[in-house]
Amino acid sequence: MKFKKKRLWGDTPTMKTAYDAVIIGGGLHGLATAYFLSRHHGMQNIAVIEKRYIGFGGAGRNTAIVRANQRTQENLPLYQEALDLWPVLTRELNFNLMFYNCGNLNLAHSEAAIKAMRMNVSAAQFSGVDIRLVDRKECKELIPALDISDKPRYPICGGMFHPAGGILRHDAVVWGLAKGAAKNGVHIFQGTEATGIDVENGRVAAVDTSRGKIRTPRVLNSAGGYSADISYRLLGIKLPISVLTIQAMVTQPLKPLLHHVISSGAYHVYANQTLKGEIATGAHMDPWPNYTTQTTGHYIKHQAEALTEFLPCLKGVKFMRHWAGLADMTPDMAPIMDGNAPVDGYYMDCGWGYFGFKSCAVTGKYMAEFMATGECPDILKPFTLKRFEEHRLMGETAALVQYSADN
Amino acid sequence: MSFTLTCPICGPRNAYEFGYGGEDKGPRPDEKDLSPGDWCDYVHMNRCIAGESKEWWIHRSGCGIWFTTSRDTTCNLEVRGKAEEKDANPPLEKE
Ligand SMILES: Cc1cc2nc3c(=O)[nH]c(=O)nc-3n(C[C@H](O)[C@H](O)[C@H](O)COP(=O)(O)OP(=O)(O)OC[C@H]3O[C@@H](n4cnc5c(N)ncnc54)[C@H](O)[C@@H]3O)c2cc1C
Ligand SMILES: [Zn+2]
Repeated sequence: MKFKKKRLWGDTPTMKTAYDAVIIGGGLHGLATAYFLSRHHGMQNIAVIEKRYIGFGGAGRNTAIVRANQRTQENLPLYQEALDLWPVLTRELNFNLMFYNCGNLNLAHSEAAIKAMRMNVSAAQFSGVDIRLVDRKECKELIPALDISDKPRYPICGGMFHPAGGILRHDAVVWGLAKGAAKNGVHIFQGTEATGIDVENGRVAAVDTSRGKIRTPRVLNSAGGYSADISYRLLGIKLPISVLTIQAMVTQPLKPLLHHVISSGAYHVYANQTLKGEIATGAHMDPWPNYTTQTTGHYIKHQAEALTEFLPCLKGVKFMRHWAGLADMTPDMAPIMDGNAPVDGYYMDCGWGYFGFKSCAVTGKYMAEFMATGECPDILKPFTLKRFEEHRLMGETAALVQYSADN
Repeated sequence: MSFTLTCPICGPRNAYEFGYGGEDKGPRPDEKDLSPGDWCDYVHMNRCIAGESKEWWIHRSGCGIWFTTSRDTTCNLEVRGKAEEKDANPPLEKE
């Protein structure tokens, strides 16, 4: 019998000349927003346009780590709700997103790092996030393979443990959201690039695409690494963003040995063991903006050296694949979510850097509310673009000099 | 990733010897009567062009000079000559 392949999100529909909303980018945030618009707000006449294929951007390249251990009062509730949403979404989409809430352990290698973590933990606990400081011994109990002796160059002093975090299958999130959105009537067009945005009397009127013009009163810029380029090229709006290539890699599959996501700021590395057994690890960002998504031998070496310092059992293990994607970084390590300013009907959801996976579902939920009602939900208000002009940067990171990726 | 930049004094060198100093945004604006918007524009806002971008670099591990050069951000290749002919503000800018 012949096996007929059927795509999860249906066949490509015929493009209409007008939609109630056009979403630029078939990544995590675009698909999530389309899904929630169609599910919660009865808006089904929506087009998602994707330059390449859904999941081509950060959506299919990230290391799928989720956590809510942010630093600031504005960010914490959003990320906490994001964590709570995964099991709900799994049921709602009827799609296994493979949420594995194994917990995250961040290592501290100095007294100063512990002090910084104490502040971080207090802020997070205040917002109801499940997180605590752990000492060196408890680190070892959590991950017996850790070397907590004084042999590593930066010996482990302790850490913070966040049991509710973990990993998901990133492709499943893309597919699940696309399937859910398409089932509700959303049109998804792959191989379709946004090339222009028409503004009439200060309002969005249409989006030009490589497959023709679409008239629409609303457009969302959720083009990930390309969102700032698009914003400037199509509308002349500059954003406080720098686009950097960020790298990741996986080892050959191993028996289970890393039962939690682990990260170390001092060694500039994070790692987790996938359900398949590979150690997925990353963190390196190029020190200058670029769109190359190229990888470097230099970083493979760094990664091997760093990981085997505190997980000596990984010595001799082979790396199998190495890849990179784009991170759209803002100066305060917090995203920009805004709309109707300076152009009515123009919404943006960008600057997600290397933390846009964990947040995609909750952001989609609130951006959908924003786009459907035209009113910015309270939880999104602090993320306005205006904050940079008003000197109200959020301080998600203590140091701005060089970008560092914890995960 | 690695690439080569041309220092005006030392010539072509590995990019890891250099420090990135941001997009070339023209001269620092006069602080007299400067609006928060214009200051923010100068301090924070970028064009993030996927393509030719004129930017500041310092030859940090070399002679220490600051200079501007143009680079194609999609492939990290220097684009020499073109940028010098152009204004610091490309025509796309609408304000
Ligand atoms: C190596 C790596 C590791 C990461 N690890 C993590 C992690 O552990 N946890 C975490 O939370 N986050 C992580 N991230 C970040 C996360 O992947 C991104 O923040 C997230 O994908 C952003 O989602 P998005 O929808 O904004 O953009 P994307 O998922 O990048 O989607 C944007 C889409 O827009 C499309 N597009 C671009 N231009 C156009 C155009 N003109 N017209 C139409 N379509 C266009 C692109 O092709 C792309 O498919 C990581 C990222 C990388 C690269
Ligand atoms: Zn020099």
